[in-house]
Order: sequence, then C-alpha cells, then structure tokens
Amino acid sequence: MKKVNVEVCVCTQCVLNGAMHIIESIESLKKLKVQLRLNTQVNITTCTNLVEGTHPDISPVVRINGDLIENADSETVMERIIAMGLPAKS
Amino acid sequence: MKGIYTPVTKIRRQIFQEIAKLAFEGGDYSRIEDIPYKIIPGEIATYRDSVFKERAIVGERLRLACGLDVRPADKHAPISQGIEESAIDELVYEPPLVNVIPFACEACPPKQYYVTDNCRGCLAHPCVSVCPVKAVSLKDGKSHIDKDKCIKCGRCAESCPYNAIVKFERPCAASCGVDAIESDYLGRAKINYDKCVSCGQCLVNCPFSAIADKSQIFQLVHALKEGKEIIAEIAPSFVGQFGPLATPQRVKDALIQLGFSDVYEVAIGADLGAIAEAEHYVHGLSEEQPFMATSCCPSWSVMAKKFFPEIAHCVSTELTPMVATARIIKKEHPNARVVFIGPCASKKLEALRRTVRSDVDFVITYEELMGIFAAKEIDFGQIEDAPEMEDATGGGRGYGVAGGVAGAIEAVIRERYPDVEVKIDRAEGLFDCRKMLTLAKAGKRKGYILEGMACPGGCIGGAGTIEPIKKAAAAVKKFADEAEHHVATGSDYIGELPEEHEHK
Repeated sequence: MKKVNVEVCVCTQCVLNGAMHIIESIESLKKLKVQLRLNTQVNITTCTNLVEGTHPDISPVVRINGDLIENADSETVMERIIAMGLPAKS
Repeated sequence: MKGIYTPVTKIRRQIFQEIAKLAFEGGDYSRIEDIPYKIIPGEIATYRDSVFKERAIVGERLRLACGLDVRPADKHAPISQGIEESAIDELVYEPPLVNVIPFACEACPPKQYYVTDNCRGCLAHPCVSVCPVKAVSLKDGKSHIDKDKCIKCGRCAESCPYNAIVKFERPCAASCGVDAIESDYLGRAKINYDKCVSCGQCLVNCPFSAIADKSQIFQLVHALKEGKEIIAEIAPSFVGQFGPLATPQRVKDALIQLGFSDVYEVAIGADLGAIAEAEHYVHGLSEEQPFMATSCCPSWSVMAKKFFPEIAHCVSTELTPMVATARIIKKEHPNARVVFIGPCASKKLEALRRTVRSDVDFVITYEELMGIFAAKEIDFGQIEDAPEMEDATGGGRGYGVAGGVAGAIEAVIRERYPDVEVKIDRAEGLFDCRKMLTLAKAGKRKGYILEGMACPGGCIGGAGTIEPIKKAAAAVKKFADEAEHHVATGSDYIGELPEEHEHK
C-alpha cells in the first residue's frame, strides 16, 4: 500500500483561507476508494511550520510527500493525492 | 454550500481582514479605495462580465463591513464616503442589517419546474398523468410545462423515470424560511423587511455573494485601540470555530491579546436561562399558555411574534443567554463595554432593542473575529499557558447545537422535579420552525417545550460560523463534557437568578 503524507498548515491565516475545508476534502477521498481504485494510505497532519513566519500571500499552504503547494485549494490537493496513489504507468 | 470554501467565502473573509487591518493601522481612511484592487487584482474579470463591476461590488461589501449603507448603481459616490465619520469607537448602524447589493444580484428567475435534455419523450410520460392542472403535455416529442398553468407542486419531477424535470430555485429564496425574498423591477432579489427576521441564511447561500450584512468590526477595532475596558462574551458555539489549534482556552488568551480585558462564556447566561425556563415549564403553563417556546434564538422568537401573534406570548420571556451574561458582566464591571461574539447575524439586531441596548455594546461573528485575528497576526500555535475557562456547566455549553437548549432545560427538570413528565418538540431552520408553530397554534403541542433554532444544526450552522456543522457539533459536545458540572443548576452564578426561579 502506498503512503501519502499530507501536511496542512493551520495557522490563523490558513484557517481563514480555507485550510479546514482542504482537510475535509482529503478525508472525503476515503469514501471514493472504490471509484478511484485508490490503494493508498493518506496521513493528514496539521502544523504551522511549513514555511517560516506569516505567509498571507501564499496561504493556504499544504505539503504532499515533501512537495509544497502554495495558494492551495481543495481541488488541487485532491488531484495531487490521487495522482500519487495511482499505480505507475508502464 | 455552507461548509465549502468557495471564492464567495474567500472574498467575504478577505474583506473582514482588510477592514480590521485598515482600522488597526489608522491614518487616512481614504485608503479604503485601494482595497478592491488588492482583492480583485489584474485586468481580467474572474467571476463576472467585467473587472470594474467586480471591484464595485467589493467596494459596497467594504462599506457594509464598515457599517455604512449600500448604494445603488445610479449614485456616484466614492467607497470612502462617510468612512471618517464611521471611524469611531462606538456602534454605527442604520437599518437594514441584511442588504442585497442590487448590481451584484444575477436576477435568478423565481422558483419553477422545467424540462431538461434528459427527457426522451417516453411512451409512459407519467409527468402528464400526474399533473393536477393539465400543465404538462407532450410537444414535439418532449414533455412541456405550461408556466401559466403550473402550480409548482413538483409531481411531474417526482414521477419522471429519467430525472428529466428539475426544480429551479433562487438560492436566497430557497434558504429563506419566512418567504422574505421578493423581486425588484429588474427581477433582482429584494428583501421584504416586514417579513425578514435577519437570520442571515440568504447571505451565506447566495452563490454570487450579492447579499451581505453590516458589520461592527471597524468600530470595535477602534474601541480596542482606545484601550478602554472591553469585555468579550463568547457564545457556546465558539468551540472549534477557529481551527484545530484554537482550544477554548487559547481563544480566550487570543482575545486578551487583542485588547479585551476579560472573556466570559455566554453559556453562563444559558445556564441561568435553562433553570428559569425549567421552572417556568413546571410552574407556569396554563390554559392561556399551553406550551413554552424557548427564547434564546432571536430569529426564531421574532418569527413567532411576526407570523404567530396569537401564540407569541408562549415564547419564554426569560433573558436570552447574551443579555443575561452581559448583565452579569456589567454588574461586576460597571464601566466595561460588552462585545458579544457569536455565530449569528440576528444577534446584531437583538443587541439594538431598547431594553438591551445598554447591556451589549457590540456584536460580531466568529468569521469577523477570525478576520481580526488574521489582521493582528495572532498565532494560536504560539500560545502557551492559556488561561482556564471554568465559567459554565455542560448544560449551557450545549446551547449552540440543535437539541441542546431543550436538553439543558430537561436536565434541570429531571434533577429538580423527577416526577414531572417532560414533552419536547424541536425544529431547526425557519421552515420547520414555522411548521412546528402551526401545529402548536392548532392546539397540538399542549404541555410541550418547543425548541426553535433558525439555523440548520442550531447556532453552529449560523451565518457567521467558520467550521462545517458536523465537526463543530463534536467540538461543542467535547467542551460541554469537560465542564465540572453537567447540569445547569451547578452554575456558580445561580445566585444571580431572581427569587421566583429558586427551586420550589
């Protein structure tokens, strides 16, 4: 089973800018395991140290398996997680 | 749509943050003219036909956030008109509270049923057979609805095997439980203020962000800057609203960082209300007052008074938790100003009532407060040794979730009067609240406690909330369970109750 680690910044600015909805949308993927043929374990962690200091211009920020996404939104985050969970194309 | 972060949510929150920032920075407030360019950058429109219009709409929203009035498109006036006069440390308010920005409204057509491309013109065409007014017929091989005849009963849509007939509704009107959304001469939404009870559901449900309520953040920030004694009272539904790091204790600390001198839980007043209403239920019901309706939700109680005047006297006259708590604060701190922080648009009006005006000085929502926190760059993760919150019981702390008010009252009755049978009915959302009161008016709720909540899920579904309803409900319950006492009678403030509510 593949593992995807998603870190979501939950600083004040990121919560205001929709971080909690991003977390909801990641959790919602569990319900689509069959449709998506996902065989992935998604670990969600919340933190505030993805980037140094306050970051109003790039909020919300999310890191997926080490890759930082600035100005993240739910659709991009879901797409990236699913792309990582799919079997590699041969 | 509630609970989903959309561009509408984004703009609304950006505005709160920018207005708070503007007020904290002070200086020349004509800078407000620059904010639309920050929120809507570039030359290309994103959501509407032109970038100029997008900015003009943001401009009106900025005015509403400062407590100023919204202007029609035929008046030339800068956004900053009146802002210097509104930059004061006390409430600025001209009715109405909830406003349609006319030129932001897309003039969605009113409720109707129509046939989509899914229609295959089938042999059975049950849509025709079920129509009671012969409005549906087959025309050119497809089902056709005669709009002049249609009574919008929806039977054709229910019967179609292809889901080809759909109901179209204006989201603002669909969310309005008191049918207050009408149309102006251009078909744009217009609020009938004789019916409106300011629940604020239309403003969170309009997908074009054309409706907004007036905010008091601009004046509140000025008051905080003055450094006078200002005390926050925070409604029971606050738990979990500000993100996973913002524990109730940290929220209290963050408010003190903003300049509040103390923070009280509104659940204190809820505890007292639950006890008073329990006593009233046990001793006060009669032929003239056959049931007791709860009083805490202002949209619900105003709706009862406007639409059911015959039974309005059955709404409890006990102080709402906001007012009861504010009075305790003013007794303990006679010179302090009180700010109610809650989920609710309607409380902004309740605080303006003649009998309440001297108790509550400002009302802001969680979403507006979060904008202030962000403007001040308050970081919940940095807060250590947050002060304890040991104000209220589990009963009062549960008030923000549907069922929690009646539950708290019932718990008091069970404790004090174990032999009394308690009958409860409850409704959430003003549609269902009206249905419940219709039954009560017909004499079918004798001996009941009726809990009415104007918003879906209770206060946690209010217009000014941030978190999705389910998560918020879990957070509120957890905090209620942590309380030292679980029944409202365990309140430290029980001595504040008038004598007639003592256990008889």
